[in-house]
Formats: sequence, structure tokens, C-alpha cells
Amino acid sequence: MDTMQTQTEAAAAVQTAAQQHHEPTWLINKRLTALDQMADLPMPLVQRFKYRDWELMPGELQWKASQSDLTDVATSSVQIVQIGQTTVRVNLPEELQQQGVVLTDFFTAVKDYPDLVQAAFMTKAMQANENRLASYHTAYLNAGVFLYVPNNVVISEPIDIQLIQDNTLDQALNSHVLIVAGRNAEVAVSERLTTVGDNANLANCLMEVVAGENSHVTIATLDELGPKTMAYVERRAFAEDNATVNWAVGFMNEGDTIGNFDTELNGVGSRADAKVIAITDHDQRMGVNTKITNRGKHTNGNILQRGVILEDSELVYNGIGDIIHGASGSESEQENRLLMMSSNAHGNANPILLINENDVMAGHAASVGQVDEQQLYYLMSRGLRREAAERLVIRGFLGAVLSAIPAKAVRSQLIDVIERKLENGR
Amino acid sequence: MATLEIKDLHVEVTDEENQTAKEILKGVNLTMKTGEIHAIMGPNGTGKSTLSQTIMGQPSYHVTQGDILLNGESIVDMPVDERARKGLFLAMQYPAEIQGVTNAEFLRAAVNARRAKDDQISVMDFLKMLDKNLDILDMSESMTERYLNEGFSGGEKKRNEILQLLMIQPSFALLDEIDSGLDIDALKVVSKGVNAMRGDNFGSMIITHYQRLLNYIVPDVVHIMMGGRIVKTGDASLAKRLEKEGYAGLRDDLDIDVALVDEN
Repeated sequence: MDTMQTQTEAAAAVQTAAQQHHEPTWLINKRLTALDQMADLPMPLVQRFKYRDWELMPGELQWKASQSDLTDVATSSVQIVQIGQTTVRVNLPEELQQQGVVLTDFFTAVKDYPDLVQAAFMTKAMQANENRLASYHTAYLNAGVFLYVPNNVVISEPIDIQLIQDNTLDQALNSHVLIVAGRNAEVAVSERLTTVGDNANLANCLMEVVAGENSHVTIATLDELGPKTMAYVERRAFAEDNATVNWAVGFMNEGDTIGNFDTELNGVGSRADAKVIAITDHDQRMGVNTKITNRGKHTNGNILQRGVILEDSELVYNGIGDIIHGASGSESEQENRLLMMSSNAHGNANPILLINENDVMAGHAASVGQVDEQQLYYLMSRGLRREAAERLVIRGFLGAVLSAIPAKAVRSQLIDVIERKLENGR
Repeated sequence: MATLEIKDLHVEVTDEENQTAKEILKGVNLTMKTGEIHAIMGPNGTGKSTLSQTIMGQPSYHVTQGDILLNGESIVDMPVDERARKGLFLAMQYPAEIQGVTNAEFLRAAVNARRAKDDQISVMDFLKMLDKNLDILDMSESMTERYLNEGFSGGEKKRNEILQLLMIQPSFALLDEIDSGLDIDALKVVSKGVNAMRGDNFGSMIITHYQRLLNYIVPDVVHIMMGGRIVKTGDASLAKRLEKEGYAGLRDDLDIDVALVDEN
């Protein structure tokens, strides 16, 4: 009876907050349905990684403005910058606006483009009742971005999405980036997650990508949430016929983190390439699932994960290739490799292939090891100090993802982060 | 002028599989100065590569007796990178492959490793130097954008070792079988690279099985190694004599009691 009471109170609180926020009925109902389902849903499965004691669902929906002068993010020509729930900058060139491109904060989009948002929000790439964190996210959503690229629109400049999680407040960030690319659309997005302030908070950051027929979507991310931020980062894509979705994820968060990257190749001939690199340090714990599901015929999925484990930290990589019955002529490849830089480091590279179709090609490679002494000797024999030689080998090891990042600025930022972590983590 | 002295050098290598130590070098003595090219010849399994790796500081080789002095200073306790910065270079028989690191990036790091922090080479100067040396070795510029030794053919690896030699400009270069697996054209190119370094500030120890290389890089001194020691030292004509008589003939002339690995 007590739980019922609590549940009712929680629902009333969410409803009140959403109404204060002038949200449409469909969204409020979606929140309430999700909230109702939460208790019965399982937590996301991250194999070989224990996080049962993590507090990932602080339950309160509040609207708090952040100070917009907390950051000095460099301006770029197509850009949205948010601090906490506050949008501080949107740059969308006139030319793109005229082509029907939308780049705005999520709740403005709910108001101004209700049909577009309602059709894509937690309907294709993921569902609110998939697991408890998805339902939590839906119920307590408090920030986000909407990007819409209409049919046949090709955007040459990468779109810069900067989300700054505000740890000057006591407030969980529950952010949703929804990207819809129409038929034949082409777009590259760079997303950067950072933190200001020293309070401890939760960040639940989701991205959904709906890639329409024959579209081409590239997402490069640089995740740099702070050490006091416990993070659940989920990125999902749904690919229609002949669509291509490419991911390059630089997972450099400093606090305990779960990553869930999942692409559903639903349409015939769709393709996905998911590259993830991570560096963990101190006593940080990080668990990452990278999954590609081949559902359509002749689909092609490729996963490449590389990670470097410093000091006493832990990094678990699950690579999941799921080929559904009927996805004939499909391919699923994956490679998961970890470098352990200390004897106290914990790592697990775990390939999981789920194949329910005969006419497919699938392969995997996995390794957990140390920096090759022969390589170090060779570099040192040319005068490089051991630390410099190690850094060069590690950067080379992570290079596969660096070269996949379309925006040069993001690439060099990621290199800087890698250098800094390797410098400090010894 | 720089000097490299090897004094009564005894070296053991530990067999990883059965954890037994085996003595390979049994008292090597040798002195070389910059301005000189020394060739070390000898049959298989006689310790030539061990000598070069030990001078460079490969950690699997243990000095049990004797010393190695560079300009009068003992280097046996120095790590490999310090020896390199003091002027030693080893062109390796089997260079490591390093993915994700371009040849150019590596070369620049190597050049800068021996320069002071506030005196790093400028991009312009580096490229100028690189172009000049690529030219000497008849290498295309695209080689420098490839990952270090990754997917290089045997010949490309050897050329790349010599390219590093030309870029780094050490006082002493140890060339370990730089001729193995090279066709005659590649051999000429590699020799041209080494000869370009010849001068008062450069000395080299060339390890080879065959006299052929020494037609292109003419040595000042030739040492014959057998059974972990230098058994004879002479001028370039010694290599020619060896070519004619073979190691077995020389061994019998010198009346040395050594079993040759490849002897029937």
C-alpha cells in the first residue's frame, strides 16, 4: 500500500511539473506511462560488469535555470549549446533554415514541431519500456535537443551539439538528443558532453537517431563528463533501407559510467560502423555495450572498440552482434581490444555473437594485453623516453577512432584529452 | 671525435622457455672511433647480433663481465633510450611495426628526442631534411605517411632503417644485417645512404655474412667473429679472403676449436 502511495505521489509530482512546463498531453501521458512501468522493468544488462549499487535514478522533475556565462564554448557556424536545461546559443544559417532544417532545444521542438517529435521520440530507435533506465529517462526528461534534416537535404558542415552538465546545481541532467534524418539526407554531428561545477550529480544522456531511407548520418562524440558525475550514456540509431550510420565515440568521462551504444539495421542494405575508444583512470569504473542488430537483409555491421586502462580503474567492453532470423546476406564484424597499463587495472573484452540466420558472415577478435615491449624497445632505441614511447604506441592503438572523426577540431580536442589522461594517469 | 670501446665483454642470454642462461659472447674486445667503418663478419650463431643488441641495450642480454665505454663513460647500466641520446643507433634486422603512428610523426619525435625542449626542430626544417634524405634513398614521400613499418616489405623496412639513420645522425651506427633480403638495386641504395653519412663525425659497425655489401661500403677494419670472440682483425682484404676460403678454412688456418652451426 505504501509503494502504491509513493507511486501515486511520484506520478502527481511529475504531472504537476510537466504541466507547469506547458507540455502537451501526449508527452505528459508518455511520462506517466513510463513512470508506471518503471518498477517492473529490469535494469539494462551489461555483462561482466556489476553496477547494482549505483544510484542511477534520483526521482524528481524540476525546472532549474543555469547561468549561461558558466562556459565559453567556441562558436561554430551550425551549433547548439546548452548548460543544464538552459539553451545558451543556437546557430543555424539562414540557408539551412530555408531548406527546412530544424535545430532547437527539445521542449521548443515539442511545441513548434509536435508531429515530427511525437513520431520519432522513443518510438523507433528505442522504447520507453525497454528497461528501467529508459523508462526513468522518459519520465524525468528535463533537457534536450532536436535536429531535423528533411528529405534530400545534404549538410556539409558538421553540426556541433555542446551539452554542458551543470554541477554548480544539485540537479540530475536527463537529456535527450533526437536526430531525424529524412530520405537521402546527409549530415554529420559532433556531440560534446562536459561538466562545470563540483557537486555530485547523475547524468542520464540519451541520443536517438532515426536514419531515413538512403540517408547518411555520422555521429562523432567527445564525452568528457566530470569526476563527480555518475553517467548513463545511451546512444541509439534506427536505420531504414540503405541508410548508413557511422559512430565514432570518444568515451573520456571521468566518473563511473555506463555506455550503451546500439544500432538497429532495420532496412534492407543498411549499414553501421561503430567505433568506440575509452581511457579509464584512478578508481573509475566503466562498462560499455556496443551493439549492432542486423534485422534487414544484406545489412552490414562493424564494431571496433579500443580502450586503455590506467591505475586502479576498470573497463569492460561488450561487443554485441545480433543477427535476427531472416537477415540473410548480412555481415557482422567486431573487434574489442584493451591495453592494461597497470597491474591493478581490470579489463574485459567480451565479444558476443547472437546469430539466428544461416546465410551470414560474422567474425570477432578480442584481446586484453599490455604495451608490446618490442615496440617500446624499438622506439626507445631511437632516443624516445619510455613515457613518450608508450604514449606514441597508445595513441597509435587508439588511432582507428581518431581518424574516423570528421570534424578536425573535435579530433584535436580528443587527442588533447588522450594526451592529458596519459600524462596524469601514471 | 667519439670513441666506442668494448672491453672483455661477456654476455648471457636467458632462454625464456627453460629459464637457463647461455653465454653467447665470451670476451669481445674492440675499439672504434668516429671516421671509421668496421665490419663484423662471422658464421651464423656466433654472436654478431648479440654484440649489436648488447651495445644498444636490449634488456634480454645480460653483461656478466667486461664493459662498454662510449667516450670513456660506461654505458652498460644505461637504458636503451639514454644510449640512443648519447649517440648510438642500431639499424635492426627485424624492426617493430607500430600501427596508428605515421613514419613522419615518429621521425620527428626521434629527431626531437635528442634536442633540448626549447630547441625542437621546426616543421620547415624537418621537412627539408626529410625530403633530402628521401631523395638519397630513392623513397617516395608517401612512405612517410604510412604507419611505422606496418605492411612494409623487407626491402622497405631496411630502407626505412637507413632513413632513420640519416635523420637522427648518430655518432655510431650499428647495422645488423642491413643487406639481408635485399636485391642488388636495394643494396646499392642502402649503401648510398650509409656512405652519405661517412665523415669525421660518424662511425659504423656493419654486421654482415657476406662480403658483397662491403664492395659498396668499403670498411676500414674487418673483424671476424667465431664462438663469441673476435678471432682475427684486418683490413678490407680480409673480407675478400674470407669469401674465397669460407669460415671453416679460416678457422683451420687459425687453429681455433669452434663448431660452426652450418658445418656439414
